[in-house]
Amino acid sequence: MVVTTETRSAPRQRAVARTHRSRRTFPLGPWAAVVGFGLFAFAPVYWLLITSITPDSLVYRYPVTFFPESVTFDNYRSVFTDPEIFGWLANSVIVSVITAVLSVVTSMYMGYSISKFRYRGRRTLLYFVLSSQMLPSALLLVTLYGIFATFGLLNTYFVLIISFTTFTLPLCVWMLKGFFDNLPDDIIEASKIDGASNWRTLHAIVLPLAAPGLVASGLFAFMRGWNDFIFALTLTGPERQTLPPALVNRYIGEAATDWPELMAASVLVALPVAVAFVALQRHLVGGITAGAVKG
Amino acid sequence: MTTTKNARPQWDLSGSTFRDSQRSARRISDLRFAWLLILPGVAMLLAVVLYPLVRSLSSAFFSESLLYPGREFVGLANIQAALGDDFVRLLWQTGIFTVGATVLPFIVGLGVALALNARLPGRSILRGAFLFPWLLPAVVVSFLWMWIFDASYGALNGLLEQLSLIDGPRAWLFDTTTARGALIVAKSWNAFPWIMVMLLAALQTVPEDLHEAASLDGAGKIRRFWTVTWPHISGVAGIVVLLEFIWNFQHFDLIFVMTGGGPAQTTQTLATALYDSAFRSYDLGQAGAIGILWMIVLLVLVVFYVRFSERKEAN
Repeated sequence: MVVTTETRSAPRQRAVARTHRSRRTFPLGPWAAVVGFGLFAFAPVYWLLITSITPDSLVYRYPVTFFPESVTFDNYRSVFTDPEIFGWLANSVIVSVITAVLSVVTSMYMGYSISKFRYRGRRTLLYFVLSSQMLPSALLLVTLYGIFATFGLLNTYFVLIISFTTFTLPLCVWMLKGFFDNLPDDIIEASKIDGASNWRTLHAIVLPLAAPGLVASGLFAFMRGWNDFIFALTLTGPERQTLPPALVNRYIGEAATDWPELMAASVLVALPVAVAFVALQRHLVGGITAGAVKG
Repeated sequence: MTTTKNARPQWDLSGSTFRDSQRSARRISDLRFAWLLILPGVAMLLAVVLYPLVRSLSSAFFSESLLYPGREFVGLANIQAALGDDFVRLLWQTGIFTVGATVLPFIVGLGVALALNARLPGRSILRGAFLFPWLLPAVVVSFLWMWIFDASYGALNGLLEQLSLIDGPRAWLFDTTTARGALIVAKSWNAFPWIMVMLLAALQTVPEDLHEAASLDGAGKIRRFWTVTWPHISGVAGIVVLLEFIWNFQHFDLIFVMTGGGPAQTTQTLATALYDSAFRSYDLGQAGAIGILWMIVLLVLVVFYVRFSERKEAN
């Protein structure tokens, strides 16, 4: 600042005036940034949606038409009337829902134990759980394939569910531990003084209070199962495959890709997660940031 | 065992009262309960993470194939082969992807977070909307960007031609000079929302009066960012960058779907190379060897992380 000749109070007064003014006027800088970054974030989404409702004759045309003159829902019709795609969709739903439920049950027990009880090895356990998140899954996949093959379990729902559930544990345990940490110990003490067992205290008193956290971690686990590609690709065949690897096998090949139909199928894959997210947004953003900002 | 140690006062009657012994009895049942609760999770982690990890890493010292049973001890031969098999090139390519796909989304994420931290109407709706790219499954992100980068009818070529920035269509994903950059852009688009949310949460912990005090002292926007905002968010920023780095280092989906490691192996990383060794060449020994080298790099990263968080705690 080159205001050395002025008196001390002059720049202060000017600064006061400036902050007051900037609060009242339109925040131009932030809005320009939002629009600029927004283009980067949403132009691809626009392209995804627009391609899925554009007739083939307009999609495969040179130069590219960014605003098509006509609209069709044929691409969605062919996706929704395809029995194969419906089969994969069912696989995705079964695997992801069971993964979510199992993961919530397992991680709420672990999170509660780590949060509310003091025992030796507790910190080690927490670090073990956290560090397992850093392991390259491709490396584990190689041996898991061998193990599952030995037991004749390849191409079953079980292998996907058990793998996904285990891989979501670190994040879910961490999230739920944070939730339980915030619950005052007095509630648990009071319930015990009333004569309730540990088991009853957990299920009747603690869990209802932790419901938002359970929902958030359940959605994370659901997304893990729903979005996974590499495990489902490797551990299952066409009958038990979930949508992501099945769509890659179906559309990405040597021959020309049917892009509009693939975009329509992509919307189908993205929709459940997007809808669930919009419904649970408030809990989720808290869940995403829970560990890092506090720790 | 912990239980017996805690239970000792029950028999040690010298100075103990009735209440003491009752409390320690409750302690035992509490402990048993606590252990019972972690049992299912621990069992799963041991079976699906720890055992496969040890087994994978040990295959590095054996000649082993997915095609037939049995293994034969070969010592360091696999690791030597992996190190010779242009490992440096693989590590370099992994490194470029990892750094690019961490730095670019960090810049975008920080920019959006700072913009949304201002008093904008509809800020929380915008925050939710900006999260959208992060929600999409990796294969959808891959499909979408493959279509955008398409050589014949891709949106990027169309846009750049209309702006007269290129004079003919380019095959972004099949060109050895652009394929890696294209992957980084796609990954950044997918990753920046998570970084944004984390940084936005950190920004909300910055006390407002500090900002006002600094601006009263005549500090400009940039100066205020470095003296007031950054010290408050640097901890979270460090964690975010490190986690992104570790995740990108092992990233598989986008690379596998969009380029399959091509063209001419230029987008191959440790993750896709390991997968190819195991499931295309069926060579588990080779895959294990890449895994060992990978773990060594990861260990170095974790040491950095621990150092970093210790320093943060000391402050």
